[in-house]
Amino acid sequence: MNYTFKWSVLWSGQSGQWLLQGLVTTLELSALAWVLAVALGILSGALRTVPFRPLRWGATFYVEFFRNVPLLVWMFFWYFGVPPLLPRGAQDWLFNHGAEFWAATIALGVYHGARMSEVIRSGIGAIPRTQFEASLAMGLTTFQAYRLVILPVALRLIVPPGTNESLNLLKNSSVALTISVAELTFQTRQIETYTAKAIEALTAGTLIYLVLCLSIATIMARVERHYAIPGLISRAKAG
Amino acid sequence: MTRITALVLTLAVALTATPALAQDTLEKIKSSGTLAIGTRTGSPPFAYVNKDNQWVGFSIDLVEMLIKPEVEKAVGKAIKVEKKESTPPTRIPLLSSNSVDLIAGTMTDTPQRRETVDFSLTFFYTGAQFLVKKGSPIKGVNDIAGKRIASQQASTNAKILREKYPQAQLREFPDQPAAFQALLQGQVDAFTNDGIQLAGLRSKAPNPGDWEIVGDFYSEEPYGMAMRKGDAKFKAAVDAGLKKGFESGKYFEIYDKWFGPKGELPYPMTPQVKAYLLKQIGK
Repeated sequence: MNYTFKWSVLWSGQSGQWLLQGLVTTLELSALAWVLAVALGILSGALRTVPFRPLRWGATFYVEFFRNVPLLVWMFFWYFGVPPLLPRGAQDWLFNHGAEFWAATIALGVYHGARMSEVIRSGIGAIPRTQFEASLAMGLTTFQAYRLVILPVALRLIVPPGTNESLNLLKNSSVALTISVAELTFQTRQIETYTAKAIEALTAGTLIYLVLCLSIATIMARVERHYAIPGLISRAKAG
Repeated sequence: MTRITALVLTLAVALTATPALAQDTLEKIKSSGTLAIGTRTGSPPFAYVNKDNQWVGFSIDLVEMLIKPEVEKAVGKAIKVEKKESTPPTRIPLLSSNSVDLIAGTMTDTPQRRETVDFSLTFFYTGAQFLVKKGSPIKGVNDIAGKRIASQQASTNAKILREKYPQAQLREFPDQPAAFQALLQGQVDAFTNDGIQLAGLRSKAPNPGDWEIVGDFYSEEPYGMAMRKGDAKFKAAVDAGLKKGFESGKYFEIYDKWFGPKGELPYPMTPQVKAYLLKQIGK
């Protein structure tokens, strides 16, 4: 292969600064989208299990509609499809104030919210029905039963699949470059433009994603151990 | 999708610690019977998928009609040309990983790129301009401060704007259709790219008359065909094909087919450009 590696392109010139900027944008985008995804996921995941049909249908519609359309399409939808519905003045204001970033945040959050919803629903499904019935028998309302009993247990149960979904969200944030958000993958391409050293730049990007994901996985493993309910999921401590 | 392609390529190349054995491109073509080119699907009239769903264009014709015969002569047998999609971020990795042998699209020959790949003779010459809505206050590169300017990611134009005109709000899109869509809808005030590419896009707009191409060339963009570095025999065959095309006039016939008055995109060749092209072969 006639390719000469020149790793120094990663720390010479502006490369380091670009990678750092890209990393910050990726983290901001992912964190905001994650908050949105978790909120939507808990809400719709819980609504899919309540004993009231219209709410269940509404939540099911949200989940099936948003998770079954590719993320790339959602990016284009929120960036190209939604702004024309606004008045021209509002559009211009938005376009001058980071419309790309917010469109990407919403696209990522709403898409992953639908996927997160299924994770949470399965967590709720893993709790014996009798717990819910017992809560009602104690005099709690449905809302209180969910808030005080069902969800706290379900959220502990779903830490492992929830982590999985969160890592997916972080990696999928790279799709935002299609609507010109200058995140990490975008910046690795930038380095390639300046240096024509694509393999070095993409390797740097890959390693950064890897380190980010491993760090999150490690933190979440600690969270899982800390909040584990003996006898429910933490086999090591059970008994 | 390009992002995935790029990552897969990186992994394939970076993780297989032993780089693929240095192989002579002509040998590779001889044994496979195929010249694999990386080209574009959405850059009319250089390389694009036309209304009849055929993958055609000026760059592709140059390969088929001028370069292929020379390569066939060099390997001593008939070969076929296989087209693969390549974009600015993927084209160099595609070459390095031996997925394609030649990039024949709209790649600008730059000194930085020459450190990694070799370029053929220049086969087209253009420069960066702006596509704007008719009547826009933007008349050239000096009017873009504070304006939202779309460009193509990883292009030479974007690099120049970022370095020399940082007051502009640059928005970089991975491909031309997305950037053009942003211009049509008002997400951006102008789209900058090589003049010839803007002309191609404008001709495909719903109402071409609503858009105009403004400004002097603020960059020089000589297009070349890229190949793996240091493969002199293959480069000689590619250059011989183009050189013969210039000498025999066949190149200008192909130019006329695409850019002539009846072509896909009328774009008469200026005497300066013609002189520039012929100067390469010492005329």
